[in-house]
Amino acid sequence: MSVQEKFSAIRKGLLEFLILKIIASDKVYVADMLSRLSETEFKTQEGTLYPLLSKLRREGLVDYEWQESDAGPPRKYYELTAKGKSQLAELSAYWKDINATINQLGR
Amino acid sequence: MQKVITINLNGNAYQLDETAYGLLRTYLDAAELQLKDNPDKAEIISDLEQAIADKCNRVLGARKTVVTTAEVKQIIDEMGPVEGTEGTPGEPASEKQERPRAEAFAPKRLYQIREGSMISGVCKGLAAYLNVDVTIVRIVFVVLAVLTKGAFVIVYIVLMCVIPYATTSEERAAAHGQPFNAQELIDEAKRSYAGFKNKREWQRHWRRQQRAWRRHVPPTPWRAWGPPPMAPVGYAGQVFAGVMMPLFTVARTAAFWIWLCVLASLLSTNALFGWPIPDGVPLWAALLVSLLAYGFVAWPLDAARRSSIWALGAPAYGWFSAWDGLLGLALSVLCLWLAWEFVPEVHDFLENMPTVRMNIQNLLRGL
Repeated sequence: MSVQEKFSAIRKGLLEFLILKIIASDKVYVADMLSRLSETEFKTQEGTLYPLLSKLRREGLVDYEWQESDAGPPRKYYELTAKGKSQLAELSAYWKDINATINQLGR
Repeated sequence: MQKVITINLNGNAYQLDETAYGLLRTYLDAAELQLKDNPDKAEIISDLEQAIADKCNRVLGARKTVVTTAEVKQIIDEMGPVEGTEGTPGEPASEKQERPRAEAFAPKRLYQIREGSMISGVCKGLAAYLNVDVTIVRIVFVVLAVLTKGAFVIVYIVLMCVIPYATTSEERAAAHGQPFNAQELIDEAKRSYAGFKNKREWQRHWRRQQRAWRRHVPPTPWRAWGPPPMAPVGYAGQVFAGVMMPLFTVARTAAFWIWLCVLASLLSTNALFGWPIPDGVPLWAALLVSLLAYGFVAWPLDAARRSSIWALGAPAYGWFSAWDGLLGLALSVLCLWLAWEFVPEVHDFLENMPTVRMNIQNLLRGL
């Protein structure tokens, strides 16, 4: 089992957190998110992202608005709701705790 | 040379060659299946279609108007498999892992299989269930039918009514006891596309496939009756519907004949089977009441009959209702014959025909 495979479940689980982070930094549409992730370990695809975004929207964490684009049809630009922001803060804090724990536990 | 198929992706027209269309169709069908429990299914599908359309635009140009198979393969690979419901918050992760496995061991069930069937698909379904060649089952049926001087045909007809049809991919998989999930579907499609040695063979398969898809579109007459039931009724429900459907037809036919007897009795004797119409109630009012009573009984029976035909997943509504109608007609003929043979009132009624005519004439004059 390669290192990548060992962490595949963790990468998958972190995706929601990362998407919230990306959306928090800027108003983005799906292709932006994909390209931001494409160079990282968290490379993902539309087939995963659209269902995830719809879930986040259903939970009231993100919302989108339609914006005209220069080329092609209007796009959905996502942004965090108040609930999404507080959720992201919680997730970030928790992630810091996890990192601290990992560092404490040994070399 | 490949035929070109025009498709509509989220409101834009694109042209694909046939193989590419098949691949894309499989991908989107699988996506819909994965999202079938998702409340935002329609929206996600249109987002996915839009993403595919954007990718198509990338490969198309002024000179190039058709998206090829290789390009669609590339696009589908880029899109990645659509993942089902992400699981509600708080749901343990292990459960999510279990779900596909639970689907993979779906119980084997007896269905009728229309694809490649001779009559209705009973033998094909039995063959799939028993895991033997369909020809053997057919020979057994024919031999039994000959040995019983045709009585076994009734068994076939009963089975045809009672066994549900495998109309969805999931049900077809259950009929064979095969594992079923979306990835399987795609792999299967890829395998079968790769397996065709030459073009003609592939085209034959393609035409068959298209016919099969067309069959899965709900037949139009049902549309007129409003949307089909939203929730599928499940296997037990389907068997139940299969048992009830002929019973409803019998009840419906009986209601009609009873009403006819009531009419005859009212018109010929001015009384309901010897029970006179109360004073002050004219004959036409009695007839109207009998009509209302008949409608009151027949209407729910009709509705129940229609919904049980639907629940059965009958692939051709027209065909099935023809069978339903034939059953009703046969029962009516049987009723008439029995009445002629054993009920003296029927002879009386026919002998009373002049009286009936006079009654009707009086009625008309009264109006």
